[in-house]
Amino acid sequence: MKLLRTLAMTAAFGLTAGAAVAQTTVNMINPLPRSTNFFPLVVGEELGYFAEEDVEVNLLPSDTSIPYVAFIQNGQADLAMLDPFETVNARLAGADIATVFEVMQNAPEGIAVAADSDVQSMSDLVGTTVGLVSDRDRAFLQSALATAGHSLDDVETVVLGEAGPTLAAAVRDGTVSAIAGAAPDWIALIANGIETRLITPPELLASPANTFAMSVEAIDGDKRDAVEGFLRAWCKGMHAATVNPEAVAAILKKNVPEEWEIEAAGQLYLDMSIGMNVSVTERCGDVQPAVWTGIQPQMKASGGITDIVPVEDFLNDSYIEAANDFDRDEVASEINAWAEENM
Amino acid sequence: MAATAISRGMPRSGMSTGMRRILTHGGIFVALILAWEVGARTGFLDPLFFPKPSAILASFWRIYFVQGNIWYHLYVSLGLVFAGFAAGSILGIALGSLVGFNSLVRRFIKPYVIVLEATPRIAVAPLLIAALGFGAQSKIAIIMLVCFFAPFINTLSGVVNVNEEKLELFKSLGASKMQILRKLVLPEAVPVIMAGERLALTAALSGVLVAEFIQRDQGIGSLILVYTRNLNMASAFACIFTLTIVGFLIFKGMEILDRRIAFWNHEDGMARVGALRKGRWAKQAEA
Amino acid sequence: MADPFPEVRPNRLWGLSRLVPHLALFAAIIALWEVSVRAGLITSIMIPRPSAIGAAIVDLYFVTGTIWPHFFVTLTEAVVGFLIGAGIAIALAVGSSLSDPFKRYVTPYAIVLNVTPGIALTPIIIAWFGFGMGSKMALAAVISFFPIFVNTLTGLTQPDGEREELFRSLGASHVQIFWKLRVPSALPLMFAGLKIGLTTALIGAVVAEFAQATHGVGVLMNRFSFQLNMGASIATLLSMTLIGLILFYTMEFLDDRTVFWRREERRAAASRARARAWKRRTGK
Repeated sequence: MKLLRTLAMTAAFGLTAGAAVAQTTVNMINPLPRSTNFFPLVVGEELGYFAEEDVEVNLLPSDTSIPYVAFIQNGQADLAMLDPFETVNARLAGADIATVFEVMQNAPEGIAVAADSDVQSMSDLVGTTVGLVSDRDRAFLQSALATAGHSLDDVETVVLGEAGPTLAAAVRDGTVSAIAGAAPDWIALIANGIETRLITPPELLASPANTFAMSVEAIDGDKRDAVEGFLRAWCKGMHAATVNPEAVAAILKKNVPEEWEIEAAGQLYLDMSIGMNVSVTERCGDVQPAVWTGIQPQMKASGGITDIVPVEDFLNDSYIEAANDFDRDEVASEINAWAEENM
Repeated sequence: MAATAISRGMPRSGMSTGMRRILTHGGIFVALILAWEVGARTGFLDPLFFPKPSAILASFWRIYFVQGNIWYHLYVSLGLVFAGFAAGSILGIALGSLVGFNSLVRRFIKPYVIVLEATPRIAVAPLLIAALGFGAQSKIAIIMLVCFFAPFINTLSGVVNVNEEKLELFKSLGASKMQILRKLVLPEAVPVIMAGERLALTAALSGVLVAEFIQRDQGIGSLILVYTRNLNMASAFACIFTLTIVGFLIFKGMEILDRRIAFWNHEDGMARVGALRKGRWAKQAEA
Repeated sequence: MADPFPEVRPNRLWGLSRLVPHLALFAAIIALWEVSVRAGLITSIMIPRPSAIGAAIVDLYFVTGTIWPHFFVTLTEAVVGFLIGAGIAIALAVGSSLSDPFKRYVTPYAIVLNVTPGIALTPIIIAWFGFGMGSKMALAAVISFFPIFVNTLTGLTQPDGEREELFRSLGASHVQIFWKLRVPSALPLMFAGLKIGLTTALIGAVVAEFAQATHGVGVLMNRFSFQLNMGASIATLLSMTLIGLILFYTMEFLDDRTVFWRREERRAAASRARARAWKRRTGK
């Protein structure tokens, strides 16, 4: 009996150890640590979706002064979260990368003003000081002004720095007439009672803000299965929010308490993040050639990129099928079960 | 009768000077905090930049005891600080001494050290990460760069600027180079080196923050970023003050260390060691 | 004060024989680097060929001249910030050395300011000093304050019992003791502090630029990094180094001139100058 028990325990340990050994690490470089902003990661980890795929996510949150592309090229990262300008510029610089998944299809860059400001359109900005969240947003402002027939010379620009009190104060006090940035930048403002309104020209609204890029070499490399599993778990996490957002809120509160210390702010943050993360395309994370073709001419006109890259050169949907290969009802029941147990 | 006799013998004021000093400092501090609270509540001070002290205290309570999320990050950051400081200052002192004594090395290494120092580390960080990879090693490398120069320059200065008359005296008494090094150069240089160390350690705290702003996976730096991004300024300040307190403790610790090691720079230390050595000498003479 | 081990002054690099070994070493490193990249040993996008960096330098400085306005912005921010920080630091250090209560009141706040990492104070400083150069100068001043304060104070309070007794026995007043004994003894250490302070001021200016800035070398470097133009990005990084070097050597020069008694030749020259002045005054 004792021998049998020992054997059984050893077998159990061996299996679990074996299972642990079989885990592959997927290194992902993006601007934020685990956050409400990219909740599919947190939700997926909490519900065990990544573990099921034998994937361990090694997040490498880094300042954007570091060129992310360099790190997928040298193999230190498997996936990099890039925006359209970074993607196209990387291709133009000769980096052999491909966009394999669209993370946020609904987080367009935009021009925001304080809710109570008089500014109604781009033309109202002429002769004023416009704030830029970062130096890179100048190109977007230029495109926006161009749609109304103006140029950058018609406004003063000042760089405000990413999020935080400096940005908030500038909007609240009207030190700048508007800010050019992206939705994550003004989420914090709204969540903290500084109401904002968008005046983005409609032509510029469709732009896939965040996408996962990989080095082309790595796409059919030995981490193929791991990345498929990663993306599938990501999609499951995304889907869970459409089924039971309250449970997702609880998961985030538990795992990222720093963002939920002010509960109302955290909730608003989540509501907006869900809106940004959940894919508009039928398949989760699907790449949209039409959108990419449409936005590049503007990007070029604004000086953000020097030339246009044909979309077939870098859009790669070979992972999308696998990423969507899961049972949505199963995910629904799992998140509800989690809610039962934990809430 | 007895009562008056006793009271006549008592000291007038019941407080020692030390006690009085602490109370004065404390009083000033409390007054400042109260002024801040009032200012924040009345809207005089911008809540985005000056959260109420009461809110900051509430945050302290929350992140230390209720959520307890700060402990891990504090542990991580301090680990990096000490590792980087140790590595950086050892390198700084070693190179400073080497360069101070050896003119050939000094000639060749000086330009590269100066170039390295003249370059702000925050700009070099991406290159370090590319070279060393993500993780603690590149963060420690950034801190090392920050910690290196103060000990290096101060050691070099201390080694080079030895008092000439004392040197003459030593030479006239027939001291060997080794003796000059041990009994003259090193003791003269130590206070300066210690001053360099203090600068290095406080620089290390800045360094870890820079490293964590760039690689923001964990640590107090990344915590400050999350709070700032979410406009939770009270918690952000709580983290910053944590660093201030830690830095202050480290600084005081260094001061105590300095008293022990470079005792001849301080009157009381010199008296103490003098008495100790006298005792030892007397014992030796007896034996 | 002299070196314990007298050696040839390394500062006089004008002689070609001195310069050649340095240039040889540098050229060797560059050549090795260029070959490594061309041969494919170094493939990272982050490490461009030296020739690409060189081309970018020529372009930025001479062809398009893009860098000059940013160069001067950062240089100004660092220098002005340093002057402010140094001014306050030296004033407070002198006050502290002369008055013990003053020292007791100032030191805790100086320490608190020092141990609070500058980068964490950036949002507040930007709020107070605005979006322009002011906030960068302010951060530079804040960060450069402490090394100068500490070194100057240490220099001024070094115990020098025998010399002080000598001065006193000759009937020197407190003021004379201060200016003729304490200050000169403190100068070497003070200049060491100023050297550190100046480079620290540059760091403060650049850190503030990284957080929020519209002009400056830091902004330019990030811009190029983002466009993956690493040649230009590193060229800009080297410009930062250049600014740092200009500042450092300026300080070395001042150190050399002010603490002249440390260098034999300078001391002799100063003695001669004084002898001449004395002769003129006494008419001998």
